[in-house]
Amino acid sequence: MAKLVLSSGGSVVQQCFVDRERLTIGRDTHNAIVIDDPAVSREHAAVVPVGNDHILEDLRSANGTFVNGSRVPRRILQHGDVIEFGAFHLRYLNPRTSSEIDLERTMLIEGLTARVSTARDALASATREIPVAAARPGRNNFPIGRVTILAGADAGCVVELDRVVATFGQPGIQVAVITRRPQGYFVTHVEGRRYPVVNGIALGRESHPLRDGDRIEVGDQTLELRVDAKGTDAR
Amino acid sequence: MALDLLETVGLSDVGNVRQYNEDTIAIDTGLGLMALADGMGGHRAGEVASRMAVDVLMQALRAQFPELRSAVRQHQPLLVVDRSINQANRAIYEAAQAQPGYYGMGTTLALTFFYDNGVVLGHIGDSRIYRLREGRLELLTRDDSLVRDQIELGLISATDASESHNRSLVTRALGITADASPHLRRDAALPGDVYLLCSDGLNDLVDDADIELMLDRLQANLPLAAQHLIQTAKDNGGYDNVSVILVKVLQPFPATVQHGWWRRVLAWLTRRSA
Repeated sequence: MAKLVLSSGGSVVQQCFVDRERLTIGRDTHNAIVIDDPAVSREHAAVVPVGNDHILEDLRSANGTFVNGSRVPRRILQHGDVIEFGAFHLRYLNPRTSSEIDLERTMLIEGLTARVSTARDALASATREIPVAAARPGRNNFPIGRVTILAGADAGCVVELDRVVATFGQPGIQVAVITRRPQGYFVTHVEGRRYPVVNGIALGRESHPLRDGDRIEVGDQTLELRVDAKGTDAR
Repeated sequence: MALDLLETVGLSDVGNVRQYNEDTIAIDTGLGLMALADGMGGHRAGEVASRMAVDVLMQALRAQFPELRSAVRQHQPLLVVDRSINQANRAIYEAAQAQPGYYGMGTTLALTFFYDNGVVLGHIGDSRIYRLREGRLELLTRDDSLVRDQIELGLISATDASESHNRSLVTRALGITADASPHLRRDAALPGDVYLLCSDGLNDLVDDADIELMLDRLQANLPLAAQHLIQTAKDNGGYDNVSVILVKVLQPFPATVQHGWWRRVLAWLTRRSA
């Protein structure tokens, strides 16, 4: 179960479990967590449970609510977060929800607004959806590299390989893709009757790992790959 | 439908963390129907639910296909799909009630039914349908998920959603209630369109921008595009089962062509069993 631990000057003052109920934090004694400090408003912030989330909300306090040093109006609490209230620290502990844990097995719960959903269905037009950002994947380091086009179309250009794929060659004639993966760059044939040539040797259908200095021929282009030694692009 | 009108590929992977794959995918190119389901429920009941959803759906739609000919253009494909989905729902619901091991099992569903130069989009839960058209990716479905509700109620922003721990909590599914309310609509389907059906194991780990880039650059090789999507989800953690179905529209497909093809298939089947 999630816990909030209040401390001041290194000693723990209070511990409080976060359950299904909304709880408030402030100077007033009616709060679940009472902090007797002049910098704290009478009702300063609230922790609201929504599904698996505990959302910290600033209740328009005089001095604001700070999490891990930054002022926020609202935050989905993460295991280890520290909330500052004057001379006090409130630490949120919930090991179950470390961001590297896999997504919970899909479960069914009640929606927040069954009614709203129905009305939306009735509209049923091709409305543009607001994309929901993908979950932050765990620490992942990608290589840093680039390709210089030595010959063919766009000769002289340098293409940074900073996205998951980059394609080269001539669409409809011969195309190869260079894929950026944690373990390095790979080249794979995409289309065309002929396969890409790496350092003078033609490839087959399989992906081929690339190294710094490799030369790739695809379509009318000749490419030279450079990979930064020890460089990693943390996502 | 004739094979040169639509190109399709489907891939389903258990991922890096889970022991079992509870996603089910199926493609019937002849019929123009593709379906993807992400099951849930203890003790692998999720696998049962997702497989039932897809099997019953496919059977039901195949059985009703001939009646589409006589119908009012706009609405009939939607009704036929709705009926088929409800049949699948009823089957799962009854199995869940009847067997203790299956109690509470359910599944999401995403389906595309290509008919008469249009596509019926159906879904329930948080499995998605995207479309790439002229290089731009568009999400065609709205997740039945708690995260979606939170965003729409202003509780969190769309970018905050990546920090939410509610990512896999769905608010609607098949098999949970006696009657299902899938979201259904029909869109025009144009040559050049690429449709992507996927379970949340993909979009929870791969940004839309990366999905768009891979589909746009690799659409000339659909199997390679599908393989790249799955691989990227796994490289980014692979915390869940991940499944994709890709459909590329190659040429226009008016109803007359589809029905002509279907008549020929039925005739061939009847001769065989005679």
